[in-house]
Amino acid sequence: MRQISVKGFGWRVSVKGFANLPKDLRRAAIALIPLWLLVVCLPVAAGATDARVATENVTATLVSETRAVRPGATVMVGLHQDIRAGWHTYWKNPGDSGEATDIDWQLPEGVTVGPIQWPAPHRIPYDPLVNYGYEGEVLLASAVQVPADWPVGEPVRLQAEATWLVCADVCIPEQGSFSLEIPTVADPPLADPVWAPAFAAARAALPVDLPWPADAAVGPETVRLMVAAGDWRQTRPADVHFFPDSWGVIDHAGDQQVTQSDAGLALAMPVGSAPPVERLTGVLVVAEELDGGTVRRAFAVDAPIADAAAGGGVAPGAGPGVAGLTGMEGEVAGAAGGPGLVLALGLALIGGILLNLMPCVFPVLSMKAMGLVRHAQAGRGVILRDAGAYTAGVLAAFAAVAGALLAVKAGGAQIGWGFQLQSPVVVLLLAYLLFAVGLSLSGMLTVGNRLSGLGSGLASRSGPSGAFFTGVLATVVATPCTAPFMGAAVGFALTQHWAVALLVFQALGLGLALPYVALGLWPGLLRRLPRPGPWMDRLKQALAFPMYLSAAWLLWVLGRQTGVDGLAAALVGLVLIGFAVWLWRIAGETDRLWSRVSTALAALALVGALGVMAPLSQARSPSDAGDSGRAAAGAQETAWEPYSPARLAALRDEGRPVFVNMTAAWCITCLVNEQVALSSPAVLDAMEQAGIVYLKGDWTNRDPEITALLESFGRSGVPLYVFYPAGTGGDSTPRVLPQILTESVVRDALGLG
Amino acid sequence: MRLTLTKREVLRGGVGLAGAAILAPLAAPGPMVRPAYAAPTIDTPAPGFTGTDSEGGTHSLADYRGRVVILEWTNHQCPYVQKHYGTGNMQALQREAADAGHVWLSVISSAPGLQGHVEPGRANALTAERNAAPSAVILDPSGDIGRLYDARTTPHMYVIDPAGTLVYRGGIDDRPTARWSDVEGATNHVRQALADLAAGRPVATPVTRPYGCSVKYGSGDS
Repeated sequence: MRQISVKGFGWRVSVKGFANLPKDLRRAAIALIPLWLLVVCLPVAAGATDARVATENVTATLVSETRAVRPGATVMVGLHQDIRAGWHTYWKNPGDSGEATDIDWQLPEGVTVGPIQWPAPHRIPYDPLVNYGYEGEVLLASAVQVPADWPVGEPVRLQAEATWLVCADVCIPEQGSFSLEIPTVADPPLADPVWAPAFAAARAALPVDLPWPADAAVGPETVRLMVAAGDWRQTRPADVHFFPDSWGVIDHAGDQQVTQSDAGLALAMPVGSAPPVERLTGVLVVAEELDGGTVRRAFAVDAPIADAAAGGGVAPGAGPGVAGLTGMEGEVAGAAGGPGLVLALGLALIGGILLNLMPCVFPVLSMKAMGLVRHAQAGRGVILRDAGAYTAGVLAAFAAVAGALLAVKAGGAQIGWGFQLQSPVVVLLLAYLLFAVGLSLSGMLTVGNRLSGLGSGLASRSGPSGAFFTGVLATVVATPCTAPFMGAAVGFALTQHWAVALLVFQALGLGLALPYVALGLWPGLLRRLPRPGPWMDRLKQALAFPMYLSAAWLLWVLGRQTGVDGLAAALVGLVLIGFAVWLWRIAGETDRLWSRVSTALAALALVGALGVMAPLSQARSPSDAGDSGRAAAGAQETAWEPYSPARLAALRDEGRPVFVNMTAAWCITCLVNEQVALSSPAVLDAMEQAGIVYLKGDWTNRDPEITALLESFGRSGVPLYVFYPAGTGGDSTPRVLPQILTESVVRDALGLG
Repeated sequence: MRLTLTKREVLRGGVGLAGAAILAPLAAPGPMVRPAYAAPTIDTPAPGFTGTDSEGGTHSLADYRGRVVILEWTNHQCPYVQKHYGTGNMQALQREAADAGHVWLSVISSAPGLQGHVEPGRANALTAERNAAPSAVILDPSGDIGRLYDARTTPHMYVIDPAGTLVYRGGIDDRPTARWSDVEGATNHVRQALADLAAGRPVATPVTRPYGCSVKYGSGDS
């Protein structure tokens, strides 16, 4: 029933069936454990001993981070649980059921121990419940303080009684008695090579103080947590989840709805059963897909709860406007599993239908609707055929977009749809396109065969091919308008099986095509459309204005991205397009010579319009630089210089030590690292004193020079932290820092002591 | 400083306003996929149910209007349940309730094949072996009653007053462990709630954290 064997420096007790022993016998057995320990540990005086209890489900070991401790110092000691696959132990708030691991210490006089430093938990669903805990392994560490007057050479003997509950679908309470002797030494002790990495991992999983202000509000149904992480431009799927410190503050099993706005992150969580609390405390976990895998960051949240009268509304001070913004566009898919498939498809369908009203799409659809009016007499067969072709076009385009996304995903990079709009060139091309379509609608430009490649020409063709390309065009044109708000669908799709993702996108497409199909299926509706007449031309001309407005909006986006110079270049480009259109008309109205000259000039003007894009591809956003600078530097405004390959090369030639930080506004890991580890005055001062030049590159707009550096380190994304030690050539091998930084990681890597 | 709106943020706002109405449905998939159960509310009528007991009898909550009803979710293989039966704690409370004329219904919501599921004969044997004294043991293998009450753990306790109002739900006591030794000295919330009822006081602590094993619902119709 019970086996005891001595193994190496430790001892092993198998307590299979231990829990089933009669209480008294169990107590007696526990009481005997220290005796066994004494016998086993006495001969092992050379170093710290570890004590191990192995059950069928958990191998638990009491370990210390260093091999010895200095009197007057602290040493990290923890219970390491190696948990059987499929089983889990619990966090301090175990969730709907379960029980947190408990460690009861018996310490020598004068020695004190701090509370367990709980690594961030994981959500462990057991339908319909949700528990919070750990799978695989976990180290529950505490700081043990040894008094200064402890005699050197006299080991510190720690004893602990630990109880834990380990569950799969069934639960088994287990316990163990542990003993650990830590030698005392006069000098700073060496790290334990076996366990130090586990302590480092546990430390990395500890919540750090939330680097943003947070507010909470409790309504009758909903607990809201608002985090003013407004400087995070999240564009890619991330998992955000809040774990309350105590039971019942929220419904543990409820879905947490995460939305992002200018004010930051907002989580809406169904309220739990416990009586109201005054502050919302817990751990906010953000899991972000980065180059090289998922990075999980945990933040300690301690948010005051606003007046309950707010009724789960918006936090005070969030400002007007925020009420409208919060909760409207969820760029983060619901962390708790996301929508079910049927629901996702239904929502995608509705979203697709509503896409028809987007300013980018509506005019295109209207153009086609006018085509329908013209065909109203053509008979049902033609209309149905066109409707089918239109649907096919939309679906094909959505399939292509989904296919591309999935291909990129399969390629290993997790991207969000929003990247399209992050390229100023793409924005400008779309502005040009919409402007040209506007000119066409205004009657300035007869879009016939000449511009057929630009889509609108294709779309205005009659017959099934025209309808097909209208469908394609509607999708392409819809993309820039919808990009910023498609996060939920894309986020959902990217995290699903490829077939599911494809279905979601097809549902979106079907929704987009549906009004048109409806017209095809019920020609009665069609007859209600007004009769053709001069109003059509006027309508067409009127529809030009939404196009111009869309173009204006895109120019505004561009201005934000590239500053006033980029905007001016774009405006010149628009003038050149207008010029080219005018010349084109002349070419059509004059004799052969002038026609050729005009055509040539028009082509030249178009080339010029495209030419203004060249500087844009490298353009950097002044506002971005401002943001990042503000976020990182704080008071120390000159702590870093913008990265450029030339500057880096020059510094390296001089042999100066350089620290390079590649960041982006949409990378929360990057922002947190800057706030937690790279903006502390102590670190910045130390870097300055060590003569380290701090270069920062902002990859928000995908700067190709930064991409090149990333690639040279085998990375395809940020964050990337590289330290080039002092010296030239072979003396200075660049060292890559981990993706999660703490002050101590930075200090160690940069040799700041 | 961190709250200052940047131009980009304003831009996002504008973009957001333009598209919000359109894609709001896409953005809000969360609440609609929540499991279709909710915790019954204190001071409102307890959800009505009809269940079959281990003797084949039928019990409706409505039949017991005028009497205090205690619901106990149980699973004889759960260590937390074993703590309270092994120490005699649960049986003592059942007898106190019986003496006071209350109705005590033990409910087993474990699905067939899962821990704690029993056939009627075994349920009766368990009652005899453990010298338990419930008014009846309700077999709820479908989990319907459990879900109706949002029972999450074994044990999970509910007290319903003679008017049919739910006045207590939560743990049996304030020592959320499986240690038998913790029964002694614990504050038994159910006993307190019954005392409050007997004295005509409102229940002082109407909601506590239930602790124990999760209820082993089947996945079929959840």
